[in-house]
Amino acid sequence: MLEAILQGVLLGGYYAVLAAGLSLMFGVVRFINLAHGDMAVLGAMLALWLVQVMGLNVPMAIALTLPAMGAIGWLLQRLIFERALRGGFLIPILTTIGLAATLQNGMFAAFGSDTKSLGAHIGSLSWASWHLPGDIFLGKLPVYMFLTALVVLGGLHLILTRTGFGRAVRATASDPEAAALCGIDARRVHRGAAAIAVALAGLAGIFLALRAQVTPFSGPMMLIFAFEAVVIGGIGSLRGTLIGGIALGLAQAMGGMISPQFSILAGHCLFLAILALRMTEAAASERGGWRNTLTAVLFNRSQIKGRLS
Amino acid sequence: MKLLSEAAISRRRFTMLGGAALAAPFVATRALGQEAAVFRIGYIGPQSGPLGIFGAHDGWLIEQLRANLAGGIEVGGKHMQVEIITADTQSDPVRASQITRDMINSAAPDLILTHSAPETVNPVSDACEAGATPCLSTVAPWEAYYFGRGGQPGTQSFKWTYHFSFGTGNFLNLYSGQWSLLDTNRRVGTLIPSDADGNAIRAGLLPRMAEAGWEIIDPGPYENMTQDFTTHINAFRSAEVDIVVCFPFPPDFPVFWRQAAQRGLAQRMKIMQMAKAGLFAAEMEALGNLGHGLCTGVYWHPAFPFSSAAAGLSNADLGANYEAATGRQWAQALGASASLFDAALALAAQSGDPKDKELMAATLPKLVADTAVGKVDFTAGPVPNCTVSGLAGGQWNMVSGERFPFQLDLVSNADFPEIELTADFRPLAFG
Repeated sequence: MLEAILQGVLLGGYYAVLAAGLSLMFGVVRFINLAHGDMAVLGAMLALWLVQVMGLNVPMAIALTLPAMGAIGWLLQRLIFERALRGGFLIPILTTIGLAATLQNGMFAAFGSDTKSLGAHIGSLSWASWHLPGDIFLGKLPVYMFLTALVVLGGLHLILTRTGFGRAVRATASDPEAAALCGIDARRVHRGAAAIAVALAGLAGIFLALRAQVTPFSGPMMLIFAFEAVVIGGIGSLRGTLIGGIALGLAQAMGGMISPQFSILAGHCLFLAILALRMTEAAASERGGWRNTLTAVLFNRSQIKGRLS
Repeated sequence: MKLLSEAAISRRRFTMLGGAALAAPFVATRALGQEAAVFRIGYIGPQSGPLGIFGAHDGWLIEQLRANLAGGIEVGGKHMQVEIITADTQSDPVRASQITRDMINSAAPDLILTHSAPETVNPVSDACEAGATPCLSTVAPWEAYYFGRGGQPGTQSFKWTYHFSFGTGNFLNLYSGQWSLLDTNRRVGTLIPSDADGNAIRAGLLPRMAEAGWEIIDPGPYENMTQDFTTHINAFRSAEVDIVVCFPFPPDFPVFWRQAAQRGLAQRMKIMQMAKAGLFAAEMEALGNLGHGLCTGVYWHPAFPFSSAAAGLSNADLGANYEAATGRQWAQALGASASLFDAALALAAQSGDPKDKELMAATLPKLVADTAVGKVDFTAGPVPNCTVSGLAGGQWNMVSGERFPFQLDLVSNADFPEIELTADFRPLAFG
């Protein structure tokens, strides 16, 4: 039981990093990036290329990949996303679907279809563990990944709350026009946010390559978990994303204890439950709270306080 | 005014011209195909997408086949050219069906060959059955092919489509034979997901393994892409299994295996038997040290004492030439694809006229062919339309000083007594 909880929490760190970029993009730029999972795979492929072809060690490759991914994010925002956003609600979604297909097949052409893993390049760290009392094993790699997730998300949180850039980001996120009136260049802020988001996706991809393996077509499955963590944690909040990731990891671990078949399903169920809650929340507050809403639904009474006044 | 109306094309004339223009390419290809006596083979497989690794060798193999068959073949006293046309399913069953129909309509192949995974062979075969074109397929458990397409044992369910591959019976034979080589407690943990293959294995193989005297510890089905295998690992650890057998979606295997090593399970196991995952050296390289000693079923190996008539090479040369020409390590899929063409040439020869599709379809149930994967004999069953090819036992070993870091050694040969083993079967050892 305790072991499953620990594993679930550690897994949650990975999900949180995966979801943070998606959440940031949506919260600040109002842009749903359906290519987020494929961006993550791109980050993994870049790091793998640096290790396998250029012969760098893994920390060095990670240190080079993240800024490169940030630059890619900046360029994508500058060249594609900005234009797509001007085309209304549907165009950005179509654009990122196209981008996802391009990335998948582009990576297939550039790197081939072989499965690859960074785990093979970190020696025994990929399977080393601490044996704790109570016959509990904690893998070293999952623990390091969880700590990295805490540091990265915590650092980002500090940037958003303590720096001028963070203020600009928050201002743009809550009211772009008012922010612009105060002299904030929203486009610059958006590009910065996109750079951070894509760098985060790259980090998540590297995590995946460390703990599992990647192929050019691994992206879409990552996107599903990222979306679930974002929805569970609440869009646009880093702390929420961390909690959402951990909740998803915990749900999967606890579900797996009931039956192995229930593992992923439990995550989906939690996601649907939270989604339903969020969707009815607005309707409930419009009707003057949960009690009134339940009364109205259960007893079919139509008097609604909030609306008549 | 008068001039204009004469020059202008009337609506009726336009329709006639347009119809003729549209029909011309089809009529032309069909007419040409008849005159030049060309045996046209359509080859449909995954060359891109998640299954793309099964077609990674296609470029080289097709070139080799074309070079070897450039002089044509003798069939029924007639000289015929051989033409190979290829199409990529992009690993998508819907597209597989679509491109098969397109190929039948536009190129009119005399025979279609397809390979690798039910997601490919089933839709392609269904399209061939509907399009009345003979079709041979391989590399998908025959049960998934036959029952997945609605085949009824005891009846001739399909007229045009035939399949040779391994099945659950091969696994029983292979595993019982190979695991008995080592001294174990005969406790077997199973890691089987709840997908089509997994359900077939769970229902078909596990009871027969229990009958054969193996104690099965099955923690139950799980979803593909599960990220945490704590439940399985704890169940295996508390049962103290010596053997784990798995049929996972390939990307799931390293997740499981690294977690098994993190919890000390892998260090105390003796045999890790993989199916579905572990077919390619790239997967082992991705695992690094953890890949050493893992076991898998082998449906083709350069050490199999057969040869490919279509490629004009022995199996050993097929593997060696591929490595020399491409710089990449040989893979089982290479020989399996070559075996399709071996069977195709044998079918053409035995039918007497490959341009006669009815004759080809009538020859298929009687087809006996020597191929790169051994003898393919459709008179042998187990059901009409399917025959079983063999599986040998392979073990991935890390080698130093060689061109590639992992080599696949043959360690047991329950299905092929004539195969020479390349190494002794050894228990897992690391940690």
